[in-house]
Formats: sequence, structure tokens, C-alpha cells
Amino acid sequence: MEHAITPLEPLLPAGEAPQDLKSAHPSGGSHHNEPNPSRKSREGNLKYCLVILNQPLDKCFRRLWHKALLRACADGGANRLYDATEGERESFLPEFISGDFDSIRPEVSEYYAIKGCELISTPDQDHTDFTKCLEVLQKKIAEEDLQVDVIVTLGGLAGRFDQIMASVSTLFQATRITPLPVTIIQEESLIYLLQPGKHKLCVDTGLEGEWCGLIPVGQPCKRVTTTGLKWNLSAGRAPQFIICHQERWRTSKGEA
Amino acid sequence: MEHAITPLEPLLPAGEAPQDLKSAHPSGGSHHNEPNPSRKSREGNLKYCLVILNQPLDKCFRRLWHKALLRACADGGANRLYDATEGERESFLPEFISGDFDSIRPEVSEYYAIKGCELISTPDQDHTDFTKCLEVLQKKIAEEDLQVDVIVTLGGLAGRFDQIMASVSTLFQATRITPLPVTIIQEESLIYLLQPGKHKLCVDTGLEGEWCGLIPVGQPCKRVTTTGLKWNLTNHMLSFGTLVSTSNTYDGSGVVTVETDHPLLWTMAIKT
Repeated sequence: MEHAITPLEPLLPAGEAPQDLKSAHPSGGSHHNEPNPSRKSREGNLKYCLVILNQPLDKCFRRLWHKALLRACADGGANRLYDATEGERESFLPEFISGDFDSIRPEVSEYYAIKGCELISTPDQDHTDFTKCLEVLQKKIAEEDLQVDVIVTLGGLAGRFDQIMASVSTLFQATRITPLPVTIIQEESLIYLLQPGKHKLCVDTGLEGEWCGLIPVGQPCKRVTTTGLKWNLSAGRAPQFIICHQERWRTSKGEA
Repeated sequence: MEHAITPLEPLLPAGEAPQDLKSAHPSGGSHHNEPNPSRKSREGNLKYCLVILNQPLDKCFRRLWHKALLRACADGGANRLYDATEGERESFLPEFISGDFDSIRPEVSEYYAIKGCELISTPDQDHTDFTKCLEVLQKKIAEEDLQVDVIVTLGGLAGRFDQIMASVSTLFQATRITPLPVTIIQEESLIYLLQPGKHKLCVDTGLEGEWCGLIPVGQPCKRVTTTGLKWNLTNHMLSFGTLVSTSNTYDGSGVVTVETDHPLLWTMAIKT
């Protein structure tokens, strides 16, 4: 079974399919001009939830906020949201804030509590605020019987090195928490964990930058095959941290 | 065989042993007051080389620069050095700059070339500028028969995610390039790859921040045993998907030991 995802689709303006973006920006990434039927059917339809972690908040959060089905902050992520939305905080109220609350400032938790956001304490010290936030989120998605395509996370890829690694670790744990794909975005990077099997990544939204990569975090991947990359892999080449090939890959046009 | 390292020792001011620093800063991390004979013998003696990568340069580079035996920039790392040393560039001339030179600015390479720095082209696209810089560095260390304890790298732990991972990957490759330990420092983080075996990490320089961690980046580590941490492990498995040690901290003894059956990435905070 093949899993298909367009990682940057949540970043597209509401109602605009990648197709529209390409015709508007002829210098953009793809030479692929025929309409993609699967994309047309996803025009403006992508349903996602948003999680905000405790890192400087990228400007794209505004674009992501209003189309999200549910929005949550993990502990200090609420500080980031609060600071980034000064003067318009009421337009950016998360459905809940969860965590052990050792990072959220008192005035921030007070503000959001008064405004009706749910504050959910998740004190378990064996898991990060991010992991626990996903658990709460999945519970709400199930309780409200929401149809969700992906969980988009902002933050987690910069700052303390152990916390960057903890974000990656959470992607591994996410498979036990939610059936939904979870992506993490910060600054110019996105990460997404590919489970064993076949994956199709549509990279023609026009928002893709130049670089991409496949990182065998956690264990060697003995058999990796790719298409769509400048430097593809075929059976017999095994990316692993012990022997790392292709440290600089660039996308070709279209699909990967 | 046990490998011993004091990861933050290069950051100590010249001539000052961690011992001196502790008596000057009684509120520092450790309760360990007796002189450590092995540290006294390393007082001001740590010999290291410095590699600068293409990331915003931390202020500690000044402290690290003058005591280094050799200093190198990997491609755009030279831009960072050039920009950070405006007005005093002549005091910060690297022995060499290597890379494929797709990042270094023309005026930067010109400047350092005129000043006598060696510019070494390493065009191989299958390896990063960092990896290739280590190769050049090791070659020079061998040619000049230098006694070096550690290679300290600045940068590499922020910015593009693929490049952060490439830095980690270089630590794995480093074992084939140099027998020397290689550490990477940026902002408040340090990383250092522990090879299979026993390791003793001295964490009582007074420069240690609160957190530390053990990250089984490349493969599961089935048997990890530690001492000196707040949350120790005893023959425990570390792997992405089961357990990764992050936001750990110290028990105050000033020494962490780690025994691992597979390469395991140590990471720790530096007080800023």
C-alpha cells in the first residue's frame, strides 16, 4: 500500500490548489502542467490540526492558524503564541494548552484560561510536552470524530540539541499515539517520518525549497529505493549513519 | 579500555584548570572539592584544533582561537569568521580554508589568500565540506606530527535540518578520518559521539549547563549503563521509538560514565 502526502500542502493559501499556484508563478518549481486529478480533489480540503512548540514562531503560523481544525500549544509554545499575537490575541486562541507548565508564563496561562482555552496538565516526566500534547490532541480528534489528514507542528527543529532529538523521537512515538501523519516545520525545514513501505511525496506546491534529504535516524535502512531525486537510491545502497551517501540531494521537478 | 574526556575543557581560559574555576565560583555545578590529579596534569595543556563551519559564530570562538594548534574554516565558515572579526581580522587568520567554495564570498577568499591562508579545494560532492575539512586537518596534523587531544568544531547544530544531520553523520565518519575525538559546539549545545565501550566524561569545569542527553542516532543501543546522571541507565536499551535520553541532568558528582554497545551520541548544555 502506498502512502501519499503533499508535505507543504497545509502552507498553501486556503482554496488554492498547487495547480493554481503554478499557473500564477510560471517561474516556480514544476514543469508539470497537466492537472493532477488527485490534487484537484484536495483543493482547499486538507484537514489538519496545528501544534505549537516552544520555539520562535515562524510567520507561517498565521497562514496555518485559521484553516486548522484544532490548535494546541505545548507548554511554552503558548508563550510564543502570546508574544507573537500582541494586539490580536483574541483571533489566535488555541483550543487547548497542555504540558507540565514549567515553561508557560503565569500571565500567559491566566490569559488563555480566562479566554476559555482548556489548560491540560500532563505532568509525566517520562515524555516530552510535545508527545503528551499529541496524546491529548488525538483523544480530542477521536472524541469529536473529526476527519483529519495531518497534524502539523511548528517548532522543535532548533535550539537545544537534545530537544531537537526529542522532537524526532516524538515522531517515532507518534505512530503509537495517532494514525495520522505528523510533520514538523521550523524556519526553512520540514521533517516527516516515513514508516516502512512505499511513499509518494508530492513536491510541486511551488513552496518547496532546493534541498531535501533522507535521514536514517534510529537505525540503518538496509533497502531504500527512490525516484524523483537528483541523486536517487536503488536496491543495494544502504543509508545509515555509519556510511552516509548522498549528503546533498536536490529535488528534481515534480514528484519524489 | 576507558576513554576519558572533559568535553568543555577547551572552553576554559588558558592556564586555568577546572579546579581553579571551581574555587572562584563556589556556586558552580560540582561539589567535588578535592584536587583531581589527572586534571592538574592537564592544567592549560589541552591541545586542540579548531574547525569553523558555516553557522553564526558563537562568541566563544575568541576564547578558543588563540589556544588552538591549528584553525580551519570549512567553506562558508570563512565568511562567518571574516564578518565576526571586522577590525581585527589579522588576529584571526586560519591556517587553511577548505571546501567546494560554493559558499565563501569572493572578497573573503581573496582576503585570506592575500594574508597567506591556504585555500584548499575539496570538490567531492559525496561528502560535506565539514567531512573533507577533517580529512585535510588530519593530514596536516600527521604531516606536522602534532600532538592533539581533540578537534573542536563550531557550528553545525542549527539551521537547515539536513545539514544538522550531516554534522552528526560526519561524527560517524570521523572515526575513519582521525583517531582524535571530535566535538561540535553551537550556542548552548555540544555533541560528541561515544564509540562502543566505556567512557568517562568529566563535567565539572563549571561551564556545564543543566541538561544533557544520550541519543542513539544511528542504531539502537541495546545495553547502555551510566553513572553520574540524575536518571541513570543500567543495561538499558536506547532507541528511537523506545527510549531516548533527553532533558537529563547531573547528580552532582562531576563525573558521568557511559558504557554502550553501539555508537551513542552524547549531548550537553554549555552555560551561556
